Amino acid sequence: MPNATRSEAAVALFSEQKPRSTVYRATAPVVVFTLPIIAFLVIWEVAVRSGGIDATILPPPSTIVERGWMLLNPADLGQSILLIHIGVSLWRALISFALAALLAIPFGFFLGLNKTAYLIASPLLSLLLPLPAVAWTPIFLVSLGQGDLTIIAVCFLGAFFPILYSTIQGVRGIGRHSLWVVRSMGAGWLDIFRRVLLPGALPTLISGLKLGMAHSWRTLVAAEMLAALSHGLGFMIFAARSYMDVSTMFVGIVCLAVIGLLIERVVFGSLEAVTIRRWHGTGKLGPSR
Amino acid sequence: MSVETSDIRLERYDLSTASFGALVGIGRAALIIVPLLVWELCSRFGLINGFLFPAPSLILYKLWVQSGPNGNPPYAILWHVAYSMLRLLSGITIAVIVGTLIGVALGMSRRARLVFQPIISILMPVPTLAWTPVLLLVIGIDNRTTILVVFLAAVFEMIYIIAGGIEMMNVKMLWVAQSMGASNGQIFWRVIIPGVFPYLITGTRLGTGYAWRALIAAEMLAASSYGLGFMIYDASEYMNMDVIYGGVMLIAVLGYLLENVLIGKVEAATTEKWGSTQ
Repeated sequence: MPNATRSEAAVALFSEQKPRSTVYRATAPVVVFTLPIIAFLVIWEVAVRSGGIDATILPPPSTIVERGWMLLNPADLGQSILLIHIGVSLWRALISFALAALLAIPFGFFLGLNKTAYLIASPLLSLLLPLPAVAWTPIFLVSLGQGDLTIIAVCFLGAFFPILYSTIQGVRGIGRHSLWVVRSMGAGWLDIFRRVLLPGALPTLISGLKLGMAHSWRTLVAAEMLAALSHGLGFMIFAARSYMDVSTMFVGIVCLAVIGLLIERVVFGSLEAVTIRRWHGTGKLGPSR
Repeated sequence: MSVETSDIRLERYDLSTASFGALVGIGRAALIIVPLLVWELCSRFGLINGFLFPAPSLILYKLWVQSGPNGNPPYAILWHVAYSMLRLLSGITIAVIVGTLIGVALGMSRRARLVFQPIISILMPVPTLAWTPVLLLVIGIDNRTTILVVFLAAVFEMIYIIAGGIEMMNVKMLWVAQSMGASNGQIFWRVIIPGVFPYLITGTRLGTGYAWRALIAAEMLAASSYGLGFMIYDASEYMNMDVIYGGVMLIAVLGYLLENVLIGKVEAATTEKWGSTQ
């Protein structure tokens, strides 16, 4: 192992000296990233085809792709089963996320600004924060029945607490001094909110939203398995289990991972980029002396 | 230092005095007790549906009965908790061992990183619970399924954090140890493990948080006889609301203890022993 670190240093040394073409620079990381994945898939395919693994339990990637293509039904996208499942899942996750953000952010600002309220609420919050949102499912199952309402309620709770917690942390991290300075210069509450509180809390707030969306998406899978009547990726995976349809299950897993990744990287990545551009260097707005 | 004094004077109004502390204490207790009391009274006097919202006293009584010899089965709650904890502990232990090994390999060897990092980064975003049906097919309804889900929930976080920790470590420490003739085993146990220990603890804490969530859900989907998740899901099939509420309360308290008390203790003990290194 230590030899590896030494050779690593050597490689770093050499690569700095060698000038390389722009094409190489653009494609090399992509190739380096995808090559192991392709190799992994090929090994998997060969292992299953050669009979090393039972194909009914672990289908080869080619079968999974074929299955996914069939479910996607590209000839008639309006009737595509896979797209309907994805759409229903996304709709549920987004509704519950939006509701959670709408309620958690104002509440978080209140608790972040009011120290007494925060002190009073903190034991209850630290009790509810580690509580898995899925644990609420049985309560909603009995009171609301199976269906969208239960799923959305569970996902809402999954997203609510991370967002609330990060908002509180973000607002509390701003530091009283910057508030005093702005107020002593005669800023109104609206100005304080717009110029100090919002930019100051935003980095933490956005990472909280990201976490909330991730939680909502992950909770959704479990909630759909337990409580969905029809449609949704979690439902699709769990229903496929009854028919021993493993390739459909893997199609669902791939979709869940890809959509989760897209939401995290594309949606929140660009949101982060925009905030950093808008309030450049707001990260420095910490507690200052 | 004069600046500090003026700062303290400015902040004095929110320094906690005895009366302020007492007030906060009362507020904290009230925030938990008052809703429960209102719930109790509303349920007792029939203002809310007593079936959907059984009085908290009845819930506590049910919990008490179920954890005693008259429960059905006897000592049911204790068995549920024991099974959940056992699954959590086994899954976490495997995740810590495997996560440390893979994390160290990824952090130390450029070749291992080139090969395994892409594979890990495509497996990481898969919601852990999505594996449950696959594992159910492969293994069946068994303790191994829940333990594997717990393992999967925790292991990626461990790998990620430990590999990051190794990259943060000072390479010179390795060189020093090597030049003094330390063997690979000695380097691993004396340099690398103490070096990544803070990260190991952080990883374990985060991993346990994820694992706890995954465990409850996995037990709902894949447990056959015991476990807290199984208990509340099974109760929902029979509409035993008191058992569900009792179970959710128990899960909340155990999660709190797990996250704040137990791991806090471990963290304090280990940072005392090894310091925060450097």
